[in-house]
Amino acid sequence: MSFLTGPMHHHLEGHKELTSHKDILNMTDPDVIWVPLMNGNAPCTPLVSVGDKVNIGTKIAERNDHFYLPVYSPVSGTVVAIEKRMSTTLKNVDHMKIENDHQNTVDKPFNPIDYESVSNEELLEFVKNAGMLGLGGAGFPTYAKFTNPTNVDLFIINGVECEPYLTADYKNMMENLSLLKTGTLALLKLSQAKKGCIAVKEDKKDLIAKLQETFNGTNVEVRTVPDIYPAGWERTLVLLLTGRRYDRLPIEAGCILNNASTAIALADALVNGMPLRQKYVTVSGDGVKEPKNVIVTIGTPAHDVIEACGGYTSEEVKVIAGGPMMGNSIPNDLFVVGAPVNGLTVLNYKPEKEVKCLRCGKCTETCPSGLEPVRINNAEKIKDIDTLVKLDVNACIECGMCSYICPSKIDVTEGVRRAKRYMALKK
Amino acid sequence: MKFVFKPAPHYRSPQSTSGIMRDLTLCLLAVAVFSVVYYWMNYGSEVGLRVLLHLAISVCCALCTEAIWFACTKQKVVDGLLSSYGWVTAIILTLISSVNVSHYALGVSTVLAILFGKLVFGGFGQNIFNPAAFGAAVLMSTFAASNVDLVSGATPTQAINAFSWMTTADNVNTLIGNYGGLGNMFLGQYVSTMGSTCAVLLLLCMVFLIVRKDIDWQLPVFYIGTVFVLTLLIGLMKGAGINYALFHVLAGGVLFGGVFMVTDPVTSPVTIPGKILFAIGAGVFTVIFRLRSNMPDGVLYSILIMNMLYPAIDKIFDGNQIKNAGSILKKVLIGACCFLVVGLGIGAIAEVKEGSVASPSSSGSAPAVDVSLGTPISLSGDLATYKAEAEEISNDGSVATYHCTARGFGLLDPDGIASHTGHEYSRNEMDVTVDLATGTVTDVVLTHFGDTEGIGDIATQEGVLAGHVGKTLNDEVDCVTSATYTSESIAAMLQAALNAAAGN
Ligand code: SF4
Ligand code: SF4
Repeated sequence: MSFLTGPMHHHLEGHKELTSHKDILNMTDPDVIWVPLMNGNAPCTPLVSVGDKVNIGTKIAERNDHFYLPVYSPVSGTVVAIEKRMSTTLKNVDHMKIENDHQNTVDKPFNPIDYESVSNEELLEFVKNAGMLGLGGAGFPTYAKFTNPTNVDLFIINGVECEPYLTADYKNMMENLSLLKTGTLALLKLSQAKKGCIAVKEDKKDLIAKLQETFNGTNVEVRTVPDIYPAGWERTLVLLLTGRRYDRLPIEAGCILNNASTAIALADALVNGMPLRQKYVTVSGDGVKEPKNVIVTIGTPAHDVIEACGGYTSEEVKVIAGGPMMGNSIPNDLFVVGAPVNGLTVLNYKPEKEVKCLRCGKCTETCPSGLEPVRINNAEKIKDIDTLVKLDVNACIECGMCSYICPSKIDVTEGVRRAKRYMALKK
Repeated sequence: MKFVFKPAPHYRSPQSTSGIMRDLTLCLLAVAVFSVVYYWMNYGSEVGLRVLLHLAISVCCALCTEAIWFACTKQKVVDGLLSSYGWVTAIILTLISSVNVSHYALGVSTVLAILFGKLVFGGFGQNIFNPAAFGAAVLMSTFAASNVDLVSGATPTQAINAFSWMTTADNVNTLIGNYGGLGNMFLGQYVSTMGSTCAVLLLLCMVFLIVRKDIDWQLPVFYIGTVFVLTLLIGLMKGAGINYALFHVLAGGVLFGGVFMVTDPVTSPVTIPGKILFAIGAGVFTVIFRLRSNMPDGVLYSILIMNMLYPAIDKIFDGNQIKNAGSILKKVLIGACCFLVVGLGIGAIAEVKEGSVASPSSSGSAPAVDVSLGTPISLSGDLATYKAEAEEISNDGSVATYHCTARGFGLLDPDGIASHTGHEYSRNEMDVTVDLATGTVTDVVLTHFGDTEGIGDIATQEGVLAGHVGKTLNDEVDCVTSATYTSESIAAMLQAALNAAAGN
């Protein structure tokens, strides 16, 4: 019935060619790093003190509320300070500053295991202890998705990467196919699903061929999705792959999803006994001189990464943590690359000329959540709480589509965010 | 180094509102060019230039009105003009007007359309009514009298309107034949409002705008589709066939309105189901208005009525379209049914009225004839456009008989007579006998009927013709409502005969 409601997605010009076939720069031996002591909105308690000596793999902090998440040191060296810095969420949070002694002394926090021979409980415990978290942007502890996998019929590895500019997952998958296979099969086992699949965009022909070769003979199928935004968002992806919609969690539609980079990081822990230390990060956009993918040690400031890519092309830029659709622009480049950051998009600043809304309805046709952003904006302006409730404002995922599509260049998404904040206040 | 902070997203679609308006302007200009060329080729440079002048005057009036408004309300004039898109309204208004309107009337209507159709609501994006439709309604209701008769002949919608419920396939085919056949109508080779004739061009514009994502395909498709399906059903029920439906779609403003007016984003709902319902409603009202009222074309008024309803339609579809997916189709169907019922209701009321009007003429001697009558035609009035001529064929001193010819209503009749615009019209002939002493008509015999069978011939029924007996130059004769042109043609011949007798 999409002719009745609009397509609820849209093809975006990806600009992926800027980075997809460039060599990868390795930046895994920085002099000093700042590890964010934050997971999502929850602080992590430091477990070492200033002056302590740490090794790669030393547990330096942990989140211990309703979720458990250990944080391991990505370098060996000395803790020199715990200080506040602006994070990618635009808040000042504690970071642990560690000076790298360049010795790369490793202190393995856990031993490799063979996922095939251990029980599901042991494997789940391993995932939890290894500090695995969603590397697609959410940073959600991975084990939590698998604590009660009932009626899962499809386990999905999300390699869609639908944000424009970003190619980090693509590069990571291309370079680490055997780790990807191990991680995927381990997670598939945890999910207890009969089948697994790995979803990538249909235009990545080379990757698709390699994945098919890699997963040949397993019960993991390579599935392609069209080049549309937000094909990588869980709901849209589940809909594209299974035709099912769900209310709150994908498990209601019999699916569990994990990001491809998460699977690779897990495999690194399973096979090599190493915790998460570094990330593939795409540095791209017209605001950076040499766009490329960089392997970055967690805790490296964005400034250093961008400098390593030739620096800025102009004096006035937007530095975005992540892709241009959902990533925040940060008013400085001192924030560090944390686990959920998969890209640094640098764009030359061109102010948009906003004109009046022409009520074209494009925002309502493309909103992947099925909302009516223009109606929400109007209701927010007159603070009409009843209409806002009816318009189901809280179903917005802030994907940015409504602002993107708006021909009048109105910040529609921001209006919806305002409406959400207003609703939160009123509750 | 400056780091700009802006909320996400940081990526914008290349499509812009001004781009949409540019595409729209291009399409409208294409239609305008067609119109200029058509009138130039068929009616001479004078009429072609008149179309151009119409466009220029309307656009100027629109821009001036906006400029003055922006200056008075202390807004930036140039920016305001560029983001108010007044010229689109002006071009649409011109193209849905007849070439016969006076420059003055078009100019004033444009000013009113821009001012009261748009600016007082808060400007572009805030208006309830389609400003062009608003302006055209003003033009038609207020300035009809100022029309000049440069290009005459009934437009197809006037012709179809003369019919009310058309019945037989023959009638439809004659009517279509009058406009040179469906093919000719498809190519726009006939007179109607300036921009609404060339179906091919309008369909091309529609495809262009849809492909460029400037308009939603649902609006034109459901609008034109509704008109087609409803008239097809009526056509089949009444035995008039598919040509009847094609005539409805091709004639008048359905295609133009469907491509350029129903699709106006500002005055239609924002959701797709809303748009579908809006288009269906406009289609239903268009058909009802055409069939059930004396309005020349239902398109304008149906759009204006639906404009009033769009806020309500928007409200109906408020909510999460995924969670409400089940009810959306239901709402569209229920809404469409409501429109049909309301439409049929209006139709039924109109029918009762029409029935009461259809009483026999009260003007003395005329025998009762089952026709409805309009404003009587004065025999001393100006009927020059019919080019009536009277030739004496017998004269015994007390009574004389004249063979009269006059231009009829049908266009492009091969054996018709030439009009002053070089166009061929159908020809009517009759023999009129006049008492020379009293100057009264004593007998009327129709010898050749060139107008549309089934429409014009109502005015030639025995009873109607007999009603002309006893008339003098000081009298008035009946005008049969659905056959105005033929009635006037006959009156012109009577006038010519009486004048000839008076000079005898
Ligand atoms: S940001 Fe929210 S309202 Fe806008 S398109 Fe995305 S989900 Fe819909
Ligand atoms: S896309 Fe922009 S112009 Fe169109 S309805 Fe939404 S807010 Fe208005």
